[in-house]
Order: sequence, then C-alpha cells, then structure tokens
Amino acid sequence: MRPTRHPAIHLLAALGLALTAALVACGGSEPAPGTGAVPAKAAPAKTRTLVLGAYTTPREAYGKAILPAFQRHWKEKTGEEVQFQESYLGSGAQARAIIGGFEADVAALSLEADVDTIAKAGLITHDWKAGAHQGMVSRSIVVLAVRPGNPKGVHDWDDLRKPGLAVLTPNVRTSGGAMWNVCAMYGAALRGQTAAPKGDPAQAEKLLTDVLRNVSVMDKGARESIVNFEKGVGDVAITYENEVLVGRKAGQPYEYVIPRSTILIENPVAVVDRYAEKHGVRDLADAFVAFVRTPEAQRAFAEYGLRSIDEGVAKEVAGQFPAVKDLFTIRDLGGWPEVQKTLFAPGAAYDRVSASIGPKP
Amino acid sequence: MSSVRAAVEPGVGGLFVRAGVFAYIGMLVALPLAALLSTGLAQGLTALWQAVSAPAAVAALTLTLATAGVMALINAVTGTATAWVLVRYDFPGRGLLSGLVDLPFAIPTLVTGVMLVLLFGPQSPIGGWLARQGFQVAFATPSIVLALLFITVPFVVRAVEPVLMEQDPAEEEAARTLGASTFTVLRRVLLPPLAPAIISGTIRSYARALGEFGSIVVVSGNIPYKTLTAPIYVFGEIESGRAEVAAAVSVVLLTVALALTFGARAIERLAGVARA
Repeated sequence: MRPTRHPAIHLLAALGLALTAALVACGGSEPAPGTGAVPAKAAPAKTRTLVLGAYTTPREAYGKAILPAFQRHWKEKTGEEVQFQESYLGSGAQARAIIGGFEADVAALSLEADVDTIAKAGLITHDWKAGAHQGMVSRSIVVLAVRPGNPKGVHDWDDLRKPGLAVLTPNVRTSGGAMWNVCAMYGAALRGQTAAPKGDPAQAEKLLTDVLRNVSVMDKGARESIVNFEKGVGDVAITYENEVLVGRKAGQPYEYVIPRSTILIENPVAVVDRYAEKHGVRDLADAFVAFVRTPEAQRAFAEYGLRSIDEGVAKEVAGQFPAVKDLFTIRDLGGWPEVQKTLFAPGAAYDRVSASIGPKP
Repeated sequence: MSSVRAAVEPGVGGLFVRAGVFAYIGMLVALPLAALLSTGLAQGLTALWQAVSAPAAVAALTLTLATAGVMALINAVTGTATAWVLVRYDFPGRGLLSGLVDLPFAIPTLVTGVMLVLLFGPQSPIGGWLARQGFQVAFATPSIVLALLFITVPFVVRAVEPVLMEQDPAEEEAARTLGASTFTVLRRVLLPPLAPAIISGTIRSYARALGEFGSIVVVSGNIPYKTLTAPIYVFGEIESGRAEVAAAVSVVLLTVALALTFGARAIERLAGVARA
C-alpha cells in the first residue's frame, strides 16, 4: 500500500536487532564473575530474606542507610546473611497490597490506621502498639513550604486564607498522608492558635474552607505535591518537614515556615505475624523492628529529615529541627478513629467543606 | 471479506478453536466486567444510586462526560482532516505524519501527562505566556481536554482512512468541474460516505477517553467539583477503602462506554464497513 515506508521499517528492524545483539553481548559477560562470587561469599552461613513493605517517604533512609546497617549488625551478631526485598508504595496502597497477599514480614507505614487495617484483616496478631513508643518509629511535623524570601508573607495558618494565594496540598482521598495536613490546621484552629476562638469546630471548619478554596492543585500524593511545588506551581505547599529538608538538601531553593501550632506526625512499624511466621523469619523481623528504633537507625532517619523518637538522638540533632510553640498529636484531637468520624467520613467536615467551595448555587 | 469467512470449514478443529477463543476473551474481558458489576450491585440498586448521585460523584462524572465531549467534537473534525490529507496527498514526510498519528497509542499516558505539564506548566515559556494572558492550561480544564485529544488521535484518523481510500477522487473532481464550491463538495460528495466512519471513530475515542487516568492525574488540579474527573474520583474512593462506591461510579462509566461501543459497531454494520 505504501511501499515508501518499507525501507524505513527494514532499517529500524535491522537497527533493533543490532541493538539487541549488542545488549545481549554486554549482558552476557556480566553474570559470569557475579555468579562465581556469590557462592564463595555466602558459603559459610545460610541466607534468609526479609520482605519489607513500606511507604515511600523513608525509601532513601531504609535503602541507603538502615537496611545495610542492619545487615552488618545481624551478620556480626549471628554470622547470618540477610537479604532484603523492599517495596515502597503509598501507605494505604501498601496496606491493601499486604492484605491482598503481598507477603511482607515487616510493614513500615505512614498512618497508624493503615497498620490497624492489616491487624483487622488478621495478619498482625500481636498488640503492635504495646511496645516501645506505641509502635511508632519516626516523626515529622506539618510545615508550610514557601518561595525563596517568602514573597507572599506566609507565617501561619491564617495567612493561607489570603485571597488569590495558590496553595498545594494532596487529595485526602488518594493520599492518607494528606490527612495530616488537614488535621494540622483544623487542630491548630480548635486549640485557639489561629484567629478562630478556642474549641469552636464551626470556626475551625471556616479556616479549612478558606484554605481549601485557595488550593490550586490536589495531587495524588505528598511526593507529587512537593515535586509540583519544585516545578514552580503554587505559592505555598502544605507538606511535611522531612520532605522540605530532603528537598533543600538536594539544592531546592525554597524555604519553609513552621506554623505556631502544628501536628506531630508519627509513623508506625510492625511485624506482620502471619507472613513472618510462614516464612520462618519471626526472629529476624522482630530484631529488625527493634533495630529501627536504635540510635544508629534513628540517626539515619534524622539524616533524611525525620525527627527522632529516641530522646538522645533528638537532642543530638536538635539544631536541625526547630522547636514548635504548640505541638499537638492526633491523640489531642481524640485519636484517629474519632478524627475519621468527625473530619473524614462521608458527609463529615472535610466533605462539607469541599462541597461548599465546589458548585456555585 | 464474506467469501473468506465462508471458506472456513466448520470442522471439529474449528469448533475447538472457537471454544478456546470464546473462553479466552470470556476470561480476559467478560469475567472482570462481571466482577465489577457484582461488586457495584452488591449493596443493591439503592446503594448504587446513592453512591452515584453523591454531589462529588455527579460533579466528577459531569466533568468527565463534558471534557470527553469537547474532545470528541474536535477529534471528529481534525481526525477527518488528517485522514483526508494522508490519503489524498503524496508529499515528503507523509510517512512521518502517519507514524506520528499512531504514536499516542505507544506512549504511556502518564508520560503524556508529564509532557503536557512540561509544555504548559507555569515555569514553561508557553505556559507562562498563556498565564500572563489570563489563560490557565495546566492544572485546569483545558489541560484535561488536551490530554484526551492527545491520547485519542488515532481513533478517527484510522477509522476514516480506509473508507476514504475506497472513495474515488474523481467524484470530488467531477463535482468541482461542475462548479460546486469547496463547502458543497464537502457536504454533498465527500462527507456523506464518510459519516459512519467519522461517527464510529468519534464514539470510540469518546469511550476511550472516559476512563483516562494516567495523564489526567498529572495534568489536572484534581480538585473536587472543579478539576476532579470520574476515574480519579474512583481511584480516591478505592484509596479511602470504599470499594463499593468506586465500583458504583465505575459501573456508570462502564455502561456508557459499553453502550457507545455497541453503538459504534451498529453504525459500522449499517454502513457496511463492519470489521467482523
């Protein structure tokens, strides 16, 4: 039909073949020394594999620092090699994957509620909040990322109500972590730390309405949100301190503001009993969960912008993490189940607010 | 075509192959559809209606149907024009143009989204210029239509092309020689035989656009009631652990898409351009 196209196709095919051949040739030479080296190293001790199902934020902290450190630690202690299989997904998606049959021995997630969901599915059988730090492993706070020099003069929650300001925050439906942002400003208002009078849910909802009206992009997740901010979208991004610190370390020029009152984010970690026992790595999983709370691992988290649950480490790195005037936790708002009910359930405050700023009647 | 079909002998082997293909398509396409329907309808029709008639769901569905509609109208015109140029003219770069038409099918839609934001984002020259004119593209409704246009380029072009090839250019020339204006040629000679192909191609592009997620989630602001489309609303409901609401809204999208797909097939059959 179109003879003119045929030579081009032949040329492409030839090129493709040549490339494939080249790749095969390159690849072929590599496995030989690799496969030769592995048995030599692993011969003295057996190797076990630990499957880690985590949320995306601590990816670098785990991958670059904590997992290698645990491998060294375990090898010194027992002589056994540990291999890791890592998976990083949004916290909610990871919880669903684990329930759906992704057999993670350890779950390190963003939200307590997500670990609770796994427990409710019968996969975590021990009381995972009973141990040290109520099952938590890392911390952060909700902050406001602003442009260099803070040209819009954003200093606290009330400044986000300014008409015409473009605010970024992820969608709470798609990003469990985005709930922290809403809780932070709603809680600050309820505590009388904004213009709203103390203990007035209607006024707190008003603040939420005004701020959400200024939201120009609701990204799928916290990461996408800060990446969009880095690309020049928006005047302010409601985000986590660790995201900002990591971004600034990577050379991003933005600054951040800690509101007078904000929420302490706490991220849980737990052994998934059913899978760990099935894989015969119970002891390993327990040891790993204990290890991530040691000062060594906590320092690694701090390196990647996360506040420490370990008091000693927190003091060491205090210079990196300014104190907050009024820091509150989810328990001050009644705990996650209560917050789910009053803020995020269908028809609750968040739904009412989005509906009120949506269709113009 | 029909002679080819009649040539196949109805033997035992043929029966076996037919059963196999039926089972394969059944497992691959019909079974998941049934699973979705059963989840969507598990709580009864009332629950399904409640989920679908929630204001946020209605807003998301309306936006999806409307943006896909705008896209389909533009596609009908530009797709037909593209097919006409590809069939009626021989020019250097025609092969390249034809290849470009197929490209959107080969590009992951997420990448489409990223490309559009790079082009129209506030930091880009084009996006910045448009923003100064008071016209926001990225993270607003125009970007949704743009993304849908991009991913559906081949539909109308490839539907119209074969019909146009069978059409004798002499008819156009004759009409012109008899003094018909370009518009008259278009209306009386060129378009009537093409109409079924244009309509079915447009419908297919519309059905495809209804479910678009990858590019939209990147280019749109995703704000409920404003720039949140139905597929992303569905995703949000799944993420919030409300699978039944997600299934209910999906059932609506699916029903529209199914009706349109069968509608497109009916039009093709009536016009005698049926593919199977």
